Amino acid sequence: MSVDANTDATSGAGVEGRDDVLLRVRDLDAGYGDLQILTDVDMDVFDGEYVTIVGPNGAGKSTTMKSVFGLTAHMGGTVQFKDEDITGRRPEDIIHVGIGYVPQNDNIFPTLTVEENLEMGAYILDEVPQDAMEAVYERFPILRERKDQKAGTMSGGQQQMLAMGRALMLEPDLLLLDEPSAGLAPDLVKEMFDKIDEINEAGTAILMVEQNAKEALRRCDRGYVLANGQNRYMDTGTALLEDEQVRQDFLGG
Amino acid sequence: MGIAETYSRGRQFAIERPFALVLAVIVVILLGDLLRGLATGQTQFADIGTLVWDGLMRGLVIGLAGIGLSMTYSILNFANFSHGDYITAGAFSGWATTYLIAGLGRADIGALLLVGAGGSVYGGTLGIGMLSTPLAVVAGIVVSGAFAIALSLAVDRTIFKPIRNEDGITLLITSIGVAFALRYLMQFVFGSDVRGTTAQPPSVSLYFIDGTVFINAHDITLLVVASALMLGVHVLLQRTKLGKAMRAMADNKDLALITGISTERVVRATWIIGGGLTGVAGYMFILWKGTLGFNDGWLLLLLIFAAVILGGIGSIYGAIAGGLVIGLTASMSVLWIPSAFSRAAAFVVMIVILLVKPSGLFSGRATA
Ligand SMILES: Nc1ncnc2c1ncn2[C@@H]1O[C@H](COP(=O)(O)OP(=O)(O)OP(=O)(O)O)[C@@H](O)[C@H]1O
Ligand SMILES: [Mg+2]
Repeated sequence: MSVDANTDATSGAGVEGRDDVLLRVRDLDAGYGDLQILTDVDMDVFDGEYVTIVGPNGAGKSTTMKSVFGLTAHMGGTVQFKDEDITGRRPEDIIHVGIGYVPQNDNIFPTLTVEENLEMGAYILDEVPQDAMEAVYERFPILRERKDQKAGTMSGGQQQMLAMGRALMLEPDLLLLDEPSAGLAPDLVKEMFDKIDEINEAGTAILMVEQNAKEALRRCDRGYVLANGQNRYMDTGTALLEDEQVRQDFLGG
Repeated sequence: MGIAETYSRGRQFAIERPFALVLAVIVVILLGDLLRGLATGQTQFADIGTLVWDGLMRGLVIGLAGIGLSMTYSILNFANFSHGDYITAGAFSGWATTYLIAGLGRADIGALLLVGAGGSVYGGTLGIGMLSTPLAVVAGIVVSGAFAIALSLAVDRTIFKPIRNEDGITLLITSIGVAFALRYLMQFVFGSDVRGTTAQPPSVSLYFIDGTVFINAHDITLLVVASALMLGVHVLLQRTKLGKAMRAMADNKDLALITGISTERVVRATWIIGGGLTGVAGYMFILWKGTLGFNDGWLLLLLIFAAVILGGIGSIYGAIAGGLVIGLTASMSVLWIPSAFSRAAAFVVMIVILLVKPSGLFSGRATA
């Protein structure tokens, strides 16, 4: 893998030369209405890889994820998934190709029960996939305990697990997680990261946005630093953690 | 728990929820007045029984019609003021069918189809009723539902769908326009006279403590039809994939989109279910009260809004519960105030309950 350790804002930050690429974003420009937020964003996720996006508030991290899922106004560039061009497709199409998405906020149906939330995760299938549901319950036993409870009455951490469980119902190849540890108590943060490790070890590639940047970079394979809607740095998680400039500018020293 | 503690808790309650306290006092006064009436023989238990039954019937009509309004509110995010005229339209289509079947060969077809406009033919003369002309009534129920479905889909396709992404106020104002257009179209076609639609239905008299309560065949029909449809909606929402998707969309539209729920399909289903219930509610309302006029739905709409807001806007169980509260209030208020003020009483009760529980009886429960 021949990658510049610290790519600056102007050069691309994609990884070339690997043939098991799952998600490939190139020169992506996107935003809301007429307002452009992302400029020339490059991003790759390989099969089974665990990738983290970090960056300051308003950097465009969530916007990048939404753009992959077809939830923003597309203004240029391409998004490829498993050799298929999914640029500008609508979310109801993208859910079919094997990408699961857990948004940053409002990621459950509060008045539906836990089990109904999971069923909605597999809405596009004719039958509720019992094996996938079983797998979700195995992964998050608390959800089985609470399966008939209204999702909105659960704690923040449980809701976050439910949101992930919902996104896993279609057994996606790539899971997009937008700040899964946001608002959780410290011990729950660790549990959440452990769960994500488990999901990744079971073969699902992860693209995750995290405010808890140091912990996320410690655990992931590779990280991207975004700022101002543009790529800033891309390297292995450990390398980013050790980089003096990244530490100073983005990780609080 | 010591007396002091009880006292301080009571004080706390009175300070935190003064309206609840005032409400409790008023209820006690009203009950006291009622008991005094019963004790002195001014009021009979059977009178109260009759009013409760009447209120229940009214409540069922309001609740049934309120489900559709509540659904369109929670899933499409707007207060549909044309809802009342869907009720009337359903009623006219259903009653035209009933007249036609019951009166075929006995009166001019045009007069039958116009539901006896201008006194050309009377429902009473045709002997219309659940027991006397069951086929005509059942066909009328079916047609009223079907026609209201067709109407709400057609209005949605041509008027609401193109402005789906506008804000709620735009949609609301548009719906008021639709309401006027529909109402005056119906007035133009069917005339503005209020006609009697049914012959006196047979009734049973139930002995009740100190008198009798009459329950007629149309009361029973309304009770059965409304309960069955409400149960049907409950099963649909709780057990079927479509129902769950509807609740999901009412809960969180953005997430529904992400999970691949076809929002346009859910919207169409909403109009179909809501429209059907509304049309049938219109038919049953007329069957129960025995008269039909072009203003009926519009006038009922205010009570329906009261019921839906009272129940917690967007909740179908709230709409049913709110309908019963409003219906019972409107009927039972005559125990204390002149009947001319019964509608006002319903609104007062709504306002009072909302002061105590501002988000309604079933708040935050969406369609659940
Ligand atoms: N729906 C929207 N409409 C218009 N602008 C938006 C919208 N959502 C986000 N933005 C803007 O886009 C920019 C990037 O937002 P984004 O949510 O992608 O940031 P982020 O990196 O995820 O930040 P955070 O860490 O706060 O979640 C911000 O300036 C934000 O105000
Ligand atoms: Mg974000």
